[in-house]
Amino acid sequence: MNLEDELRSAFKRREPSPDFTERVLARVAAAPGRREPRPWIRWAVPIAAALLLAAGSLEYRHYQGERAKTQVMLAVRIAGSKLNKAQKKVQMLTHRSNS
Amino acid sequence: MEFSGLVRQHQAMVFSIAWHMLRDRAVAEELAQDVFLSLHQHLAEMESPEHVLFWLRRVTGNRALDEARRRQRRPMVSLENAPEPVAVTATGDPLLGTALRKLVAALPEKARAIVVMRYQEDLDPTEIARVLGIPVGTVKSQLQRALALLREKLSRSLGEIGI
Repeated sequence: MNLEDELRSAFKRREPSPDFTERVLARVAAAPGRREPRPWIRWAVPIAAALLLAAGSLEYRHYQGERAKTQVMLAVRIAGSKLNKAQKKVQMLTHRSNS
Repeated sequence: MEFSGLVRQHQAMVFSIAWHMLRDRAVAEELAQDVFLSLHQHLAEMESPEHVLFWLRRVTGNRALDEARRRQRRPMVSLENAPEPVAVTATGDPLLGTALRKLVAALPEKARAIVVMRYQEDLDPTEIARVLGIPVGTVKSQLQRALALLREKLSRSLGEIGI
């Protein structure tokens, strides 16, 4: 006698009652609440996430552009004032040498 | 595949795991129905037929284990104290089958689940470990111990009647 063969034979699958499937389906139909998620929801979530990401990225680039513009303007103002000072000095020296 | 098709395809497996674990037809059918109700709720998460099969085995095995532990609070006969089975020698003999099922029913719940997964579902120790969420080493040692106990019980009964 081979014990493992005997166990395989003793533990064969068995069928439940003939109306088992119908009873499961009836319970599923009677179960409250949880519906299958609508198919469009599966696509809506990743699309919304992608749109948010794109909008965020655009906004960030716009912010960076504005920041760069402000920095350039500041640099131009500083350079302008330095030029002004230099020009005044040159004028003063020229005036002295003429007189 | 539609849900009713999945129920028809897997109902024998789910019911048999529960029945072999619990040895109570009504409780096993109730448990099997609960498992399919749960499958219906998780149907959108199923990725393939193999995933459905694995999921059903895992959920049924774990629920049957929980139910067996609940029922274990009632006094049960340990394997060592289980009655000797009726001795018969022909392979696939229904009396020997009944005796083996009774002996397995007297095993601790986890060992019982391992035996059911091994001999009903024909899973190897690695697959059993995945399904029941326990280490492979535990599966192997529990299986060896269960087989040794079953052999001892059976040979004792066969020896008593001189076979």
